[in-house]
Amino acid sequence: MEAVHHLDHGHEHHPAGIMRWVTTTNHKDIGTLYLWFSFAMFMVGGVMALVIRAELFQPGLQIVQPEFFNQMTTLHGLIMVFGAIMPAFVGFANWQIPMMIGAPDMAFPRMNNWSFWLLPPAALLLVISLFVPGGAAAAGWTLYPPLTVQMGMGMDLTIFAVHILGMSSIMGSINIVTTVLNLRAPGMTLMKMPLFVWTWLITAYLLIAVMPVLAGAVTMTLTDRHFGTHFFNAAGGGDPVLFQHIFWFFGHPEVYIIILPGFGVVSQIIPAFSRKPLFGYASMVYATASIAILSFIVWAHHMYTVGMPVAGQLFFMFATMLIAVPTGVKVFNWLATMWKGSLTFEAPMLFALGFIFLFTTGGLTGIVLSIVPLDVQVHDTYYVVAHFHYTMVAGALFSAFGAVYFWLPKWTGKMYDEKLGKLHFWLSFIFFNLTFFVQHFLGLAGMPRRIPDYALQFAEFNAISSVGAFGFGLTQLLFFYIVLKCIRSGEKAPARPWEGADTLEWTLPSPAPYHSFETPPVVK
Amino acid sequence: MARDQRKPGFLQAAGAVFWAFFGVRKRRQGEADAVGLSPVQVIVAGLVGAALFVLALLLVVRLLVNS
Repeated sequence: MEAVHHLDHGHEHHPAGIMRWVTTTNHKDIGTLYLWFSFAMFMVGGVMALVIRAELFQPGLQIVQPEFFNQMTTLHGLIMVFGAIMPAFVGFANWQIPMMIGAPDMAFPRMNNWSFWLLPPAALLLVISLFVPGGAAAAGWTLYPPLTVQMGMGMDLTIFAVHILGMSSIMGSINIVTTVLNLRAPGMTLMKMPLFVWTWLITAYLLIAVMPVLAGAVTMTLTDRHFGTHFFNAAGGGDPVLFQHIFWFFGHPEVYIIILPGFGVVSQIIPAFSRKPLFGYASMVYATASIAILSFIVWAHHMYTVGMPVAGQLFFMFATMLIAVPTGVKVFNWLATMWKGSLTFEAPMLFALGFIFLFTTGGLTGIVLSIVPLDVQVHDTYYVVAHFHYTMVAGALFSAFGAVYFWLPKWTGKMYDEKLGKLHFWLSFIFFNLTFFVQHFLGLAGMPRRIPDYALQFAEFNAISSVGAFGFGLTQLLFFYIVLKCIRSGEKAPARPWEGADTLEWTLPSPAPYHSFETPPVVK
Repeated sequence: MARDQRKPGFLQAAGAVFWAFFGVRKRRQGEADAVGLSPVQVIVAGLVGAALFVLALLLVVRLLVNS
């Protein structure tokens, strides 16, 4: 109990140097750790994407062997999903949720520290797996058997990495749920919470619900590999399709886990730069809850082609199409928020608008893919690759960039270079579309995904896509420079740099003090 | 909560969940929900609503497959 008697609030009494970061229980420090970690992983996963695109620049095999290509597609997916996007949004949650609800910190600060420090060893396991005999897992990020049962020890390292990442996510989620439900300032009722907090509350519940399912699936894979079970081995009476059901029962809520906090970010940015309150706040909360519930009953639309009764296909087709209704409500509300607003287009707003435009495109191709007879034609083609990159990159990643530009003045106390921020947006927007829009055509023409070689007729679009991918990758170095420049030599930021922003964090000075809201504010 | 308030509470929760599935709610009704409903009521109603939604979809599929 002695720890709680340090009432020396005026001073930052934490260890200096690296031990500050190892031992920290401060939500802002841990948020910063999450964000830098996710950026590092974004670079690692990005380099893997560029290896893939370099190989696909021309038909034939030029740069890597097919086995290594498969390892790249697998690790790129795993690292981007579990190492880059998810930790980025947990970083935003750590920084912002306590400040947005008027809490002094997260509910379980030590568990928060552990949640973060589990990530580097997991990431290390994934990267080390490249160098073990047999190389890294090469079954795709979906880890389907029988490939996963046959692979070398890289697969075991991947399984342990997934276990650790899952533990980290579950602990982070418990922390967020407890913080939001118990540490809100007086007067901050649930229906007064900023939408970012709402989307994270619902996302945290989703994570707690589905992460154990993934852990179960990979544990069954592990016991199939080493302990004589036959869950997924048809020769032993098991069923490889069972894995696909279990995986996608996790996997589909997972895509909403990735995108819902992005919805939350956009729902903070759009009202701030429209200088109007969010249109239909209650609808947005309800739509988020609705999407979360529906996300549990659509999983088999990922596996129409593995064989399922017509009744099953129809059920999952209808359920998937209906999920577009609450998503459409959200897009409508964002547009209605901007209607007759005093709009300005700083970098966060540009990324939010880019998000709406491109995520809606990705949503539309999602509806196309939900239609069984059409999905059977384009399943496992580049059409699917284009679709999910429109939702994951232009959706989750663009909203993450928007969030960084939006809150960077609060975190650092300094303004970023607006011109460079805008340049970052436009280059990202152009190169993103150059990379992925053409992949729709490749997919419709029949180019299969996860294959290092292709027929000659796909050459032009693949060359365009690869040029776009390298442009997109280099553009992110500009982002790195903008953040560094802001930290080192940005102009001093006022407490509330965006005049339309009205949530609690903007009542704090910039940079936000190390300990904030030790006395809770009263919300009217 | 008094016993005579339970029934309207249930209906209100059912209404909130119905509109939530559509994703739209009138501001006045949304505010009334926030004051009048407990989270447990909404979660129970949400799970019942999800079950009914699945049953309705299964019914439609059955009708289509049999016709």
